[in-house]
Amino acid sequence: MDRRMERLGCAALALLGAAGSIAFAFFLPDPPEAPRWMGAGAQTPQVGGTFVFHHEANVRSLDPHVAYDELSGMAIRLMFDGLLDYDHESNLVPSLAEAMPTVSEDGRTFRFRLRRGVRFHAMAGHAEGRELVAEDVRWSLLRLMSQDVGSPGYPFYASIEGADAYHEGNADDVAGIRVVDRYTIELQLKEADQTFLNAMAMPFAYPVPRENYEHWGDEVKFHPVGTGPFVFEAWERGVQLTFVRNERYWRDKPGPERMLYLENIGRELAAQRFRNGDIDSIHRQSPSDYRFFKTSEAWRPYMVEEPRGSTYGLGFNCEMAPFDDVHVRRAIAFALDREGWSRARAGRLLPASQLLPPSIPGYDPELPTRQVFDLERAREEMRLAGHPNGLPEPITVWITGQDDTSRQYGELLQSDLARIGIDVRLRFVSFAVYLTESGKPNTVPAFFTGWNLDFPDPSNFLFLFDQKSIHPEHSENRAFYRNPEVDRLLAEGKSERDRERRLGLYRQANEIVARDAPWAFLYYTLTMELWQPHVRNYDPHPVWSEDYREVWLDLPRERVARSLAGVGGPVPARFYPMGALR
Amino acid sequence: MDPRAWRRFRKNKGALFGGVLVLFVTLTAMFGPLLAPHDPNEQFRDTLIADDGTLAGIGQIAGHLLGADGIGRDHLSRLLHGGSISMLVAYFATALAIAIGTFAGITAGYFGGFVDTLWMRGVDLLLSLPFLLVAIALVRVIDDPALWVLVLMMALLSWTTLARVTRAKTMQVRELEFIQAARALGMSHTRILFRHVLPNVLGPIIVLGTTLVARMILFESALSFLGLGVQPPQASWGSMLQEGQALLDATPRLMLLPAALITMTVFGFNLLGEGLRDAFDPKD
Repeated sequence: MDRRMERLGCAALALLGAAGSIAFAFFLPDPPEAPRWMGAGAQTPQVGGTFVFHHEANVRSLDPHVAYDELSGMAIRLMFDGLLDYDHESNLVPSLAEAMPTVSEDGRTFRFRLRRGVRFHAMAGHAEGRELVAEDVRWSLLRLMSQDVGSPGYPFYASIEGADAYHEGNADDVAGIRVVDRYTIELQLKEADQTFLNAMAMPFAYPVPRENYEHWGDEVKFHPVGTGPFVFEAWERGVQLTFVRNERYWRDKPGPERMLYLENIGRELAAQRFRNGDIDSIHRQSPSDYRFFKTSEAWRPYMVEEPRGSTYGLGFNCEMAPFDDVHVRRAIAFALDREGWSRARAGRLLPASQLLPPSIPGYDPELPTRQVFDLERAREEMRLAGHPNGLPEPITVWITGQDDTSRQYGELLQSDLARIGIDVRLRFVSFAVYLTESGKPNTVPAFFTGWNLDFPDPSNFLFLFDQKSIHPEHSENRAFYRNPEVDRLLAEGKSERDRERRLGLYRQANEIVARDAPWAFLYYTLTMELWQPHVRNYDPHPVWSEDYREVWLDLPRERVARSLAGVGGPVPARFYPMGALR
Repeated sequence: MDPRAWRRFRKNKGALFGGVLVLFVTLTAMFGPLLAPHDPNEQFRDTLIADDGTLAGIGQIAGHLLGADGIGRDHLSRLLHGGSISMLVAYFATALAIAIGTFAGITAGYFGGFVDTLWMRGVDLLLSLPFLLVAIALVRVIDDPALWVLVLMMALLSWTTLARVTRAKTMQVRELEFIQAARALGMSHTRILFRHVLPNVLGPIIVLGTTLVARMILFESALSFLGLGVQPPQASWGSMLQEGQALLDATPRLMLLPAALITMTVFGFNLLGEGLRDAFDPKD
């Protein structure tokens, strides 16, 4: 009898638990359907308030010479300026430079004149900051190029005269960098390179003050000092970073009093907090959140969805069977039902037909060799490859991640290629393993891959198929695609100074790459960004992701106090002096 | 087998209920794939977004009884095929584990000495390893695990309890008079083991085997949920859990149905196992 009671008790407990978890899942109040707070209605830029944004992972470094990821970039762009920047049409524009540099006849020498009166933020020894001078630009470039720093950005500047000798430690100075006077610096390249100006707009080239680096040593990545619109305030590692408004900023002064950057907030949680009004902008969504926002009337005015400068595809190692046969590669490229993939991803993929995404000059919607879904042509290519009934052996495709999304992509691929008789085995690996292994020759036969631009120029995509990008390890040309014609076009494009002719060369290369299919191009991602109604003047930038430099807040003030109290538990007093809460 | 056991079993309503559940799930696993309305891997992508661009709610697809998953595969067909795979893996792994465990148990218990030490230290070794971690490590090492590799691995990690219980029971049986008699008559060890010892230790084996099936189902689900078990595009209940979790708040059915099936099946096997134990072991 005892035993029976015991069993009954257990069953009752189990039932209770199950019912509880179901109730938990279904009857929790949903966050509001519509924005919770509307702006106060100001028409002119306002000063004040705290802008709260987030990312899913850890910020690793705030040293612009070392950081090379989106997360750090979001913070670094708030605090630093470059000599050059991009406008919202992806054109290079002067920033710390007074004007675009003058270029010598042979296209090798660039002379930058700095804006006068730009000051660094306060730092050790300079409570009021210090003026930015040409020597800062030189010192920053030298540090970036030194072997000790190990900057991943070095290759972008290796074309400067004397860079290699300095990088290898055979010279104390870089011959091609010359300070002309207090505000003028001249950079000389080994050969004409049109993309060098793009390199000068990258965060690696942001000028930094030498004193700060000497003061902090290795710790400098926690103590950034720049010239940018916001001044670094505090970093609670793994939790949040705060930045305050730079009162002495040389350009239009920024709006928000404070920027609060939350780290390690997963996308689902971020979406919930966003809907509750506690986060001001989000940029990644889970499939169900994506559907919610996509179909929400209330959020529509505060949302954009645009393709970004990235291309994704299925890469083939062109030196490994069966992908050494161009017809097999082309067959796969024609067999992918990109439209269907997009449908399976709730329409968030833009089908890709070629390497260059639509936002990059050189993209051609009518490209004669564009890759499209055409089962007849796919089968024809299989016949040409000598496999009319499909491949005898399964192919192995590497895919990064182990989550449901990567699994879905794998299953979409399996389903498409089954139609032309190709059996696909998926191998799930981590991103790090994929990066290392696919850069080695004869290692990874086929792989899901992609490229996100460093700068908006076709060369930054096409170099992926240059023979120069093949190395014994860490090849960027993971397809090991070798085509002397493409190499020639790219080399010519690099030095060609006439814009139209230059684009023509890249168009040709783009056309050849689409035809030879070292990648089967799959999609360009659409990024959906949302912001709160009181966030004004946020216009997603085509080059910089999540660039919040220009926002101002049309604040319903009660929101600030509420959100601060709710963000990351109890709020340390030092971050929010009472004044900021008013 | 003890005829009184069946009588006791029949009186136990819980056990009978468990037995019915098990029978139902097993039959569905055997014949489900024949009943499935669609190919479980066929993707009805066109139905996911209407031509005017409006999103169909996930699963709200006409013509599919239980709707479809994120990439437009018929959910009912996947549940049926997935159940078939899950049960197949569980049954085969259990059978293999029983074979190994029983053999280890009766030889160790009957011969004792060195054989006993060998088996039992093996058991200790396996028991000292964290079950799931070892499985994950193994699957990582073996590139692209086929289904039979999965079965083998699950069996090799799960025979230990069986071996211990069988050994203990065998040691009791070994001392009984009829074994002595058989030995005196000059029967070979093999014959004694299989004709006399095995039938007498069968009770606990059946009981343990039944609950082992339940554990195997959970084990396979866990591995597949982690993406290490059944490989795509093949469905199993565990992999369906994984695929459904991202859409849990939008379409709970995608995850809850396979979860409910797993729970129900495991519950059934446990009830049955418990009932069998009571039937075979009336002392309590």
